[in-house]
Amino acid sequence: MYPGPTLQAALTRIIEGAINTALDLDPAGRATMLEVLAQPVQFSVTEPAPLTLTLSAVGQQVRVGSSAVGEPALHLSGQPLAFVALALGDNSVFASGRLTVAGDTATAHQFQRALDQLDPDWEGALARHIGDIPAHFIGQRLRGAIRWSKSASSVLNANVEEYIHEESRSLPGRRELEATFGDIDQLSLQVERLEARIEQLSQKAGSPDPADSSPEHS
Amino acid sequence: MTQQHTPSPTPGEQPPRDDTTHFGFRSVAKDQKAGQVADVFHSVAGKYDLMNDLMSMGIHRLWKRFTIELSGVRPGHRVLDIAGGTGDLTMKFSDLVGSGGQVVLADINASMLQVGRGRLMDRGYAGNIEYVQADAEHLPFPENSFNAVSIAFGLRNVTDKDQALRDMTRVLKPGGKLMVLEFSKPTNPLLSKAYDLYSFNALPLMGQLIAGDSASYQYLAESIRMHPDQDTLKNMMEAAGLVNCKYYNMTGGVVALHVGIKP
Repeated sequence: MYPGPTLQAALTRIIEGAINTALDLDPAGRATMLEVLAQPVQFSVTEPAPLTLTLSAVGQQVRVGSSAVGEPALHLSGQPLAFVALALGDNSVFASGRLTVAGDTATAHQFQRALDQLDPDWEGALARHIGDIPAHFIGQRLRGAIRWSKSASSVLNANVEEYIHEESRSLPGRRELEATFGDIDQLSLQVERLEARIEQLSQKAGSPDPADSSPEHS
Repeated sequence: MTQQHTPSPTPGEQPPRDDTTHFGFRSVAKDQKAGQVADVFHSVAGKYDLMNDLMSMGIHRLWKRFTIELSGVRPGHRVLDIAGGTGDLTMKFSDLVGSGGQVVLADINASMLQVGRGRLMDRGYAGNIEYVQADAEHLPFPENSFNAVSIAFGLRNVTDKDQALRDMTRVLKPGGKLMVLEFSKPTNPLLSKAYDLYSFNALPLMGQLIAGDSASYQYLAESIRMHPDQDTLKNMMEAAGLVNCKYYNMTGGVVALHVGIKP
């Protein structure tokens, strides 16, 4: 059996430690998360090695286990990359079937909301070790760096998009594309109507029309 | 009857007579073993946790974690932690059973019990834990009392293991689970050689340096070798009346967790 019990225990211990440390830094988030995990939530990774992780609330802590529980409130299973995509905010993993969900959908929504609302106070944690002023200084710099990287990333995206659409003309612009799609839809409808009309006319031509033989309609 | 399932002693040694038993590689009178084991643990109690961490490089926490996970203990359960020592398992069980349950920390050794009680109190564990000085062969509890019974790294020190297993089975409720976490036989010959080298050289040295007592850690290494292997212990559990007995090798069989259910 791989991974063996010792490795599994090491893995769950690390994950449990990380989750509880994060929750220690957000008491409100902890309360919400513990409420959601009153019933166990189970994650099963199918490849490359089958691995199960179960999250449940024990007292004021989140407990992570590696054994499947009888009836989890929510069970998500799929490949590791699908879980990574979900963690990065890609909800299409459910629609595309990369992740399968079983159990209570309300729990799924509550769990996702609890994750979204989680806002650990990293600056507070850092302040306990290095003092308030240095922690605030580092926090400010980090927040500035994150803000800058987000803004730089969106500006870069916009510039690349503009270059491709407007300058190199490698791809049509969004509005052009929408207009073309509209035209195609219109054309498709017209072709369907024409087909129906032709069908109707060919039926008329192929079969004797009772109206033709009726003197009062001739 | 004592240790009729234990493997043969090391080459050159005679198997114990009926009135003797093993104490490491030595044979001692049955009525002396408990006293000698008690001396070992009186000697190491103060440094027990530190030595456990050093000797196992912290892995004993992972072995215990797996044991807790497999216990299936839920809020409201009654759990008996035999040879509970400094209370590692009791602490986790206490969290799991909650205020509606109860955990009994039992140990034959007063020094270990004292260290365990102090440690648990210091960490705020109180209310659902009881401390009992008890011999695993003669448990002072009525039958069908506990949902789960655990004995971690304690069974090899018991004089009459069969009697202890029978008594642990007796106090379990029907459907209850017995978990025996104990050193065992490595499954890989290479690992076995490295393990021998480590335990017969490094352990006594560490014992001398940290706890000032190499003899106790020499006994530890010897008692592990004299303990029944995985299949023998499984058979002993079945003979004690448990069903669905199975074992999980950990860290290549250095340690094994045996689990059995009382029918």
